[in-house]
Amino acid sequence: MNTFIRQVVLGLTLGLSLAVSARADDTMPAPYDPLESVNRATFGLNDVIDTVIINPLVSVWNGILPQPVRQGVSNVFDNLDDVYAGLNHALQGRGSQAGTDFGRVIVNTTVGIGGIFDVGTKIGLKKSYGDFGQTLGVWGFSTGPYVVLPLLGPSTLRETAGRGARIVTDARNLLPANTYYALTGTEYLATRADAKANEGLIAASSLDRYVFVRNLYWQRRFNLVQEGRSAKAGSSQP
Amino acid sequence: MSKNIRSLAMAFLGIAFLVMAPVVRAETVQPDDLVRRLASEVTNAVRSDPELQNPNSPKIADIVGRLIVPRFDFLRITQFAMGRNWAKATPQEQKEVVKQFSRLLTRTYSNAIASLKELDIEVKGTKANSNANDVTVKTQMIGRPQPVAIDYSLINSAGGWKVYDVTVEGISLIAAYRDEFGSLVSSSGVSGLIDVLKKKNGE
Repeated sequence: MNTFIRQVVLGLTLGLSLAVSARADDTMPAPYDPLESVNRATFGLNDVIDTVIINPLVSVWNGILPQPVRQGVSNVFDNLDDVYAGLNHALQGRGSQAGTDFGRVIVNTTVGIGGIFDVGTKIGLKKSYGDFGQTLGVWGFSTGPYVVLPLLGPSTLRETAGRGARIVTDARNLLPANTYYALTGTEYLATRADAKANEGLIAASSLDRYVFVRNLYWQRRFNLVQEGRSAKAGSSQP
Repeated sequence: MSKNIRSLAMAFLGIAFLVMAPVVRAETVQPDDLVRRLASEVTNAVRSDPELQNPNSPKIADIVGRLIVPRFDFLRITQFAMGRNWAKATPQEQKEVVKQFSRLLTRTYSNAIASLKELDIEVKGTKANSNANDVTVKTQMIGRPQPVAIDYSLINSAGGWKVYDVTVEGISLIAAYRDEFGSLVSSSGVSGLIDVLKKKNGE
């Protein structure tokens, strides 16, 4: 399975290298969605999967586990994310941010008992988001088209490549297959349970949920890359 | 005699000051103070009244209408969300879009008021946008595991400072509506947009 993913990532990376944009624009381009009809179909499919499978699972998850436990589970996965945030901030040339990220990992893994408690935030080590898709953006790759992935939702070609890179380099690959899938499933459920409250608000406030979600996602990715670029520019200046 | 005139003049001056005072005060309220005051008024109200902690309480609409709505510039918000299509709408349609859109925003985001019980909003600073009458007040919502950055864009006009956009973690709420409005207007016109808004509001 990993060999397959590696090939996909390689292919995507090669494809993306043709799409490198040289200019760094400050204004957000409109969402680029040439695959809208396919994406809308996948979006609808995800809604069905949510209604039939995910929502009941999330209800069970929220029903069985008290809030502090759910928070602890999320924190453990967030701690793992911090490793990748640090790695990516380093790749983006943001050394001091990477230092903070790795500082968080050290503190939260030890004092925070394997990442269950976010001690880092309490002592002033602020959590900062970072991923491979963002790194590709900071390096000058454009997003490519917007895509809606089955189960995973909004993405772009670039972000999908980033996600692939994350999967290939994940330390969890060293675990036995059963443990790997159990952990990944738990992470997915915890993430979705976290997001449910916002999903309700989006459904209530949007006129065309597909367009609304696409725009929120597009803004978020644009901001992450802008943040990376300005932080990099700031740190290279005396 | 001249002394009497002077004291009379002083008395008039005093009255004039008393009358003027509220006007002057309203003008000198800085946008960051306004956001700070608005946040504390709303959070205090929610904390002191258990009824407001129930998202379905009819009292929420009352507090939103009294404290929050007067501080939002719904005309500007709608114009921003409409973008180029604003000019295409008739005055009657414009009025209807403003009415329906402000109703949608007020109704959906009122539901979030109840959760302010355990949250606090800290003002972090003000940044001027294009000019001194157009600023962004940066705040942080604390009380969640991670602080959330919420920025309020305000404009100073005849009615004082009013909010015209809210940005959550860099994501502009009104910009998201802009895409929706654009796609609806291009597929079914301004009247189609109004129909969707009305339907969403349960009309």
